[in-house]
Amino acid sequence: MRNHEGPDITRRRLLAGAAGSLAFALMGGRLRSSAEAAEPEPGAPATDQPLITHVARPLDAETPPQVFTQYLTPNDQFFIRSHFGPPAPESVAPAVWRLHVAGLVERPLSLSLNDLSQFDEVSVTAVVQCSGNGRAFHRPKAPGVQWEKGAVGNARWTGVRLRDVLQRAGLKDQARHLQLQGADRPVVASVPLFTRSIPLEKALHPDTILATRMNGAPLPLLHGSPLRLITPGWMADSCVKWLTDLTVQEEEAGGYYMQTAYRYPSRPVKPGEVIAPQDLKPVEVMVVKSVIASPQQGAILAGGAAMVRGVAWSGEGRIVKVEVSTDEGKTWEQASLVGEDVPYAWRQWQFLWRTRGSGRRTIWSRATDDRGQVQPMTSAWNPGGFLWNGVDRVQVQVREA
Amino acid sequence: MSQRWHQPVGWLFLLPLILLGPTWLATGRAEEQPIDQQAQRLLAARCSVCHSTDLVLQQRLPRDRWEATVDKMVHWGAHLDKEEATLLTSYLATYFHQDAGPVVALPAAPSVQAGRESGATPAPGGVAARGAALYKQNCLPCHGEAGSGGVGPKLARNPILAQADRFRMTVSQGRGAMPPWGSVLRPQEIADIHAWLNALRD
Repeated sequence: MRNHEGPDITRRRLLAGAAGSLAFALMGGRLRSSAEAAEPEPGAPATDQPLITHVARPLDAETPPQVFTQYLTPNDQFFIRSHFGPPAPESVAPAVWRLHVAGLVERPLSLSLNDLSQFDEVSVTAVVQCSGNGRAFHRPKAPGVQWEKGAVGNARWTGVRLRDVLQRAGLKDQARHLQLQGADRPVVASVPLFTRSIPLEKALHPDTILATRMNGAPLPLLHGSPLRLITPGWMADSCVKWLTDLTVQEEEAGGYYMQTAYRYPSRPVKPGEVIAPQDLKPVEVMVVKSVIASPQQGAILAGGAAMVRGVAWSGEGRIVKVEVSTDEGKTWEQASLVGEDVPYAWRQWQFLWRTRGSGRRTIWSRATDDRGQVQPMTSAWNPGGFLWNGVDRVQVQVREA
Repeated sequence: MSQRWHQPVGWLFLLPLILLGPTWLATGRAEEQPIDQQAQRLLAARCSVCHSTDLVLQQRLPRDRWEATVDKMVHWGAHLDKEEATLLTSYLATYFHQDAGPVVALPAAPSVQAGRESGATPAPGGVAARGAALYKQNCLPCHGEAGSGGVGPKLARNPILAQADRFRMTVSQGRGAMPPWGSVLRPQEIADIHAWLNALRD
């Protein structure tokens, strides 16, 4: 499948623009706030929104939610997270970089980028979200980078099926897990490597890809150049960047980042409680979630009406409903789902809000998927602060009409 | 829940760090300093070898989690002896406990072209203007304001500056107590820091 990114985007932008215009025509007024007026039109690139840095070194930075008025998150506004920062560019330059496939395989492989390009090319539009996205909202606070809303993005990933590469190597009968290792290294050698693994079923799923391109451009270094794994529907701790080594094995990867970090309790737990290792499972599938992209927190709106826009996604399910409350949860109204409805990608939504009176107002959003998962008011506390998906909230100020 | 990090009181916690930072690096003798300053000095000199201290200051943890975290870091190679680890844990548990407010102002985004670069570029001569910020971010905690020295050797007018290759190798591969920076700083960035240090007069 070739990449038809350009025309797709153009068509989508036209559609989104048309939907927006229709909505404004229906509501019968020009009712945008000063804050909104400065925002880009739907689909237009929001080039002036810098990332919000949480850790300067190694760089961990999230996307401001207003960028999510766009369906695809631009590469230079996509959240950045790694444990050690990117490897030195020369260590992953095309001339020297190789992908090694070893372990429980019939034929160990060492593939160059050119070798990889011989496999069928595929693309998938998928949400990539840090497992700790929203950690800052857990109470009590959980240790880790205090991400708020923007350690997530939706991009079009292009590459080859991981399954095709593994089949070329040939799997032995005992194969159960695939260990993943990238070229990134800690400053001090005594720090454990970021070594991860995924169960073989996920590795062999036809939608799991080894990506070399992001939104039509070569994968940027900060996002895993030259090769990263994309496990659609799963949290990004599996989407290992700067990949160099795939090892087929019987067991999960050992080491801190698989056996201790990125694990979630399989039963409700209280803060401070001791949890037995067998009650902790790897973080895998994403949970249902929505985020309000516009208006932004603290915006001042002209009275009358305002368009509330956002995105919603669910790991392996499809979004069927997004509701908005402007009275702190007493009543909920249904938002319109707009734009493309594609597995693994997020769904855009919008809600025409008739503001009544003036003063501070809150806007809440909650999503429901086709498996009956509903976004809760708050998410279950867990020691790692993972999988936050509490109802999204922003507070705005409405001026007198 | 959408509280952001605006409370002015937040800066009060950082003030000692900002005002005294250069002083404690320059004046040496740890045991003569108040314990908070000793702890802040350890944060800058030992923790920031691997990560900037903003990662630490945004945490709000009970004492037992701080103890576990410092233990983990020592296990992973942080240069802290028993007494230093206790001092640091006590400081963190006192100021960055779970009921502490949102005291940390997030630092401004670094001026990287986030996500734009896609491959290797050769490293030509360094640009001193760029080196200043890189030095401050990565080297100052140990080597002091303007290369004046601290935990690490004085760098201003250090003879190693005359040998660009040796300087680059030392930074990227480490030497003695200094860890390797090759996975953090690009050759171009090391060259920029070198150029900036070379331009210092004292």
